[in-house]
Amino acid sequence: MPFRILLNGPVFTALMMFVVFATMSLIALSFPDKARLMPLIVGIPGTILALVQLFIELRSTLSQTAENADLVPETVEAERQMFTWMFLFFFGILGFGFIYAAPLLVFGFLWFGKEESLKIGLVGGAATWGILYGLFQRGFQIPLFDGLLLEWLVG
Amino acid sequence: MEISGILNALITVVGSPTHVLLLLIAVPVGMFFGAIPGLGGKLGIVLAIPFVFGMDPLAGAIFLVAMHSVVHTGGAIPSILFGVPGTGPDAATVVDGLPMTRSGQAGRAIGAALGASGVGGVIGGLFLLAIMPLLRPVVLAFGPAEFFLLALFGITFIAMLAGDSLIKGLLVGLFGLMMAFVNLDPQTGAQRYTFDFLFLWDGIDIITAVLAIFAIPEMIALGVAGGSIAEVRQRASYGLQGVLKGIRDVFRHWGLTIRTSVIGAFIGMIPGLGGEAASWICYGHAVQSSKTPDRFGKGAVEGVIAPETANNSKEGGSLLPTLFFGVPGSSGMAILLGAFVMLGIQPGPSLALTGMDIVWTLIWALMIANILAVLMFFAVAPSFSYLSYVRGSLLIPFVFTLTYLGSYLSHRAWENLVLLTVLGTLGYLMKRHHWPRPPFVIGLILGPIVEDSFHKATALWGPLFILRPGAMALMALIIISFGIYFWRARNKKLKKAQNAV
Repeated sequence: MPFRILLNGPVFTALMMFVVFATMSLIALSFPDKARLMPLIVGIPGTILALVQLFIELRSTLSQTAENADLVPETVEAERQMFTWMFLFFFGILGFGFIYAAPLLVFGFLWFGKEESLKIGLVGGAATWGILYGLFQRGFQIPLFDGLLLEWLVG
Repeated sequence: MEISGILNALITVVGSPTHVLLLLIAVPVGMFFGAIPGLGGKLGIVLAIPFVFGMDPLAGAIFLVAMHSVVHTGGAIPSILFGVPGTGPDAATVVDGLPMTRSGQAGRAIGAALGASGVGGVIGGLFLLAIMPLLRPVVLAFGPAEFFLLALFGITFIAMLAGDSLIKGLLVGLFGLMMAFVNLDPQTGAQRYTFDFLFLWDGIDIITAVLAIFAIPEMIALGVAGGSIAEVRQRASYGLQGVLKGIRDVFRHWGLTIRTSVIGAFIGMIPGLGGEAASWICYGHAVQSSKTPDRFGKGAVEGVIAPETANNSKEGGSLLPTLFFGVPGSSGMAILLGAFVMLGIQPGPSLALTGMDIVWTLIWALMIANILAVLMFFAVAPSFSYLSYVRGSLLIPFVFTLTYLGSYLSHRAWENLVLLTVLGTLGYLMKRHHWPRPPFVIGLILGPIVEDSFHKATALWGPLFILRPGAMALMALIIISFGIYFWRARNKKLKKAQNAV
């Protein structure tokens, strides 16, 4: 069976859990006695359970045919698009802050991403700006994150 | 003494214009999140967090409790009109609610759901008021050994109930616990998994983790599914006359209403059991206790009343373990617990000693919100069903923005945005591959209690603390619940094999 199909979503998730528990348990060994007690009490059974789950997922994958594998092209493409947008929101806000990036991203998502009308996109963007700047920054007097890149550029 | 405290709490809620205004805002917002299938109360609370940030703790808590307590009132509407449950626990309402709509009794079904939700919520609150003085000494008798095992019980119980695989549930619960150990060790001050990042010294921010595990995956899934949230094709119309008839039905079946309200509140008290169990158990009770059980499934109004009373009354019950033991009664309560901590309200036995005024106030807020939900619904009754047509694509970018905003505001640390994105990706993987997510939040919240209680118990009684009577009783509960789980799984397997034959 090709490796790509063997390492499908469920197997990957179980493998990731195993790696996380095993790594955290190993790291815990370097802590002082009292500090490592609970991480080891939780981490060791976690590693064993994750290994069992990995075995279950691998066995289930091996019993499936390649055609049954969990790969629907439309879903994968839709997921890719959604993750792209999530990362755009993340990098946009991290770089340029809430007040500038969020309204533009909301507009972009609605107009480009979901092909809503220009009017809906503009209203969405303006509403976001109104809530962030008008309600939070001005109304609640909560200073919002300015963005790392913008802080660096403007000082 | 107790009575005056209870009455003072009522005055705190209704005598303060701020609190009344917050209730008036929280109720429609809660119903909005319940009425839009796919959003739900958990997402509602996490998205409300930025708005209550910096508020007076009690005012913020009133807002969140009021909002959370009426989610299922809104959730009944799409269940009845379109057969699309607004929230998971509303699924039982579909069984008789949809046939009623199809036979032209949509208004009556909506009225019954609304009246039942209101009465259920109030009875749930009264139940809590009545049981609180009896339970307080029990809470205060709990020591570190009992709290350690109670926290473990909460995690294992929700791991068993939250999904179809026990191993996955336990793994996610343990993963939540592991994440709770990311901090400066409270015993030695040593850095644990912080990798010299200052923002991790106080531990992983609960709000960020909750937003990542619930809000981000839901929005990605919504975007992947595409289209409108509710797959509804035609609008079901109803009038106020029908709604009033339904409300009268609730009082006509007063015995059933009271019984299912009390059963719901009891189920809510059991940590982790959740709303779905409450609504289905009460639906089953309605069928069993009926003289004409063959009407159920074909549009019996009792089939709407029973699950709806349970849905709202269980919120009162689940406040109890959440506030007094710090063990959330449901995944929604786990999020509420995180929000309380963020607001500066520390749930646990200390609340029974010094914070009873807060507890009484929240119970009143819960009851008043349920009454307000019924009254407010009349103002917008016929147009409320339009909410089920809201397109998902319109909501996703706003939810993304509010999610990042909530995460940033909880500690004013931009590093939380990184954590949110990483955990959000993990949350989606969990959702996509059917790993239950509520145990993660419960593990993360209970992690510090588990560790602190464990160290205190071993310091006081040594490793034999598990032989204390209370601890042994809780261990027996954990073993019994495992036993029941395996027995049920075996029965399910046998039934499946028999069906296949």
